[in-house]
Amino acid sequence: MTNVYVHGVGMTQFGTFVDRTMKDLLLDACIQALNEAGNPKVDAVYVGNFMGGSIYNQEILGAIVANELGLGFIPTAKVEGACASGGIAVRQGVLGIQSGEYETVLVAGVEKMKHASTADVTQAINAAMDNDSNEKRAGLTFPGFFGVLANRYFYETGASKKHLAMVALKNRENAMQNPLAQFRKPATLEEIMEARMITNPLGLFDCSPMTDGAAAIVLSSKKSPVHVRSSAQSSGPTQMQDADDLLSIPAIKESGRLAYEKAGVGPEDIDVVEIHDCFSMTEMLAIEELGFFAKREGWKAIEEGRTKVIGDKPVNTSGGLLSRGHPIGATGISQLYQLVHQLRGTAPNQVEGNPRLALAQNLGGTGSYSVVHILERV
Amino acid sequence: MRVMKIFACMNCDYHSVTSKYTCPKCQQGKLQETEVSPKGTVYSFTDIHVAPAEFAHIAPYTVALIQLDEAPVKVTARMDSEVTIGDAVELKGLEEGAFIYTKAN
Repeated sequence: MTNVYVHGVGMTQFGTFVDRTMKDLLLDACIQALNEAGNPKVDAVYVGNFMGGSIYNQEILGAIVANELGLGFIPTAKVEGACASGGIAVRQGVLGIQSGEYETVLVAGVEKMKHASTADVTQAINAAMDNDSNEKRAGLTFPGFFGVLANRYFYETGASKKHLAMVALKNRENAMQNPLAQFRKPATLEEIMEARMITNPLGLFDCSPMTDGAAAIVLSSKKSPVHVRSSAQSSGPTQMQDADDLLSIPAIKESGRLAYEKAGVGPEDIDVVEIHDCFSMTEMLAIEELGFFAKREGWKAIEEGRTKVIGDKPVNTSGGLLSRGHPIGATGISQLYQLVHQLRGTAPNQVEGNPRLALAQNLGGTGSYSVVHILERV
Repeated sequence: MRVMKIFACMNCDYHSVTSKYTCPKCQQGKLQETEVSPKGTVYSFTDIHVAPAEFAHIAPYTVALIQLDEAPVKVTARMDSEVTIGDAVELKGLEEGAFIYTKAN
C-alpha cells in the first residue's frame, strides 16, 4: 500500500478571536502548513468543521480554501463528524493518497464559537446527539453524559472528583508551556475541585471550553521524516441507554485496536499520546480503552503521575482539549500538530528520549465516532 | 403508565429500549416489541446545571440512567427530584417525548 507522510503542519493561536473571521483563521493555518511543506502542488483539500453552518452561516469551506490559496480547480470537501471532524478529515486525506488518486492533500480544521452565547453553542453541539430520541428529550447533554459516566465510574472504582481534577491540572500545567494554548494561567487542585458545577460531578475545569482556532496538515506519498503509520476509524452507540457497558466507549477501543493492528504495534510501543479529553472523565476512560492501562484502573495511573510529561505514558503534552482548547473542527488536527513536533523534537513539553511512535485519538459525539492515527519518526 | 415498551432480539439475548432494523449484537435477528414494568433502579445520574437553550428554564435538573427490574434494559429519563445510585424509581409519565421518573415510595 502507498505510504503517507506528513510534510507540514500549521496552527493558529487557540482562544477568543471574535475579531478574526473563520476564513482568516482557516487560511492562516493552511498557509503555515503549506510553507512548511515547501508549497507543493496540492491535489485535494479536506476541511474538518462542525458548526460553521449552524452558528456562523458559512459552508463551502473546502472550495474557499482552494480558491483563496489559488490551488486550482481541485476537488475539495468539508468533513463533518462532530468533534471528530478534524480527525476524520485527515483520514479522508490519507485514504485519498493510499487509493492512488492524489499525491498531496491539504487537510485543515476550523471552528468559530466565541462569538455566540454559551446556550446557543450548547444547543448547536447537541446536534451531535440523536435528537429523535427519548434521551435527548429528557434533557441529556454532552457534559451530562460524561457526568453520568463519572458517577458510575466513582461507584465502581476507588476514583473520586480529585482524580478528575488531577487530569485537569496536568493538562493545565502542560498548556502553560504551550504558546498556542487557550488557557495558560496556573490553577490549583483546590481551585479546580471547588469550581462551579456544570454537570455533577464535572465542574468548570473538567469540561473543554468554547474556542476559536484552526489547524492544518499537508500529507503526501512523497517521503518525509514523519510517516502516518496507521489510520483507523470506528463508530459506536449514539445513545447512552444503548451502551452495553456504560464505562466503555466501544468506538475508542475499536479504533485503537484497528490502528494498532494496521501499524503492527501495541499500546506498550507508543511513546507519546494526544487523547480527546473533551472532559477530564473522557481522558481517564480513553487511556483504558486504548490499552495503556487496565480497565477501571486509569485513575490509578493518573494518581501515580504516569500520564505526565515525565511519566512513562505522556498524555496530552499540548494541554489537551481542556486547556489547549477545543475549536471543534480543528481539534483532531491540532493533536497531530503537537505529535509531529514531538517526533521532530521541537514540541512544548518535549518528551525526552527521542519519541518514535505517537498516537492521536479524536472522539465525536458521546462515542459516536472515534479516529486514531499513529505517527512514526522515520 | 404501567408498561415500558422494549425491543428484544428474536435470535439472541439483546434487549434495548430503542428499536433497531437489525440486532446490533448478533447482526442476524430482528427485534420484537414486548412490554415490561417500567420500575427500575438508578444505575447512574447527573444534575445538569448548565443546560442548552431549550432546557434552560428547568435547570438545574437531574437525568438518570435507569436499569429496569424486569429486563436487561437501561432507560435514560429525567427525574423529578435528586437521586443517587441504587435508588428505586418508577415512571411518573411522559413529557414531550421524555420519560419522567420519580423515586418509588
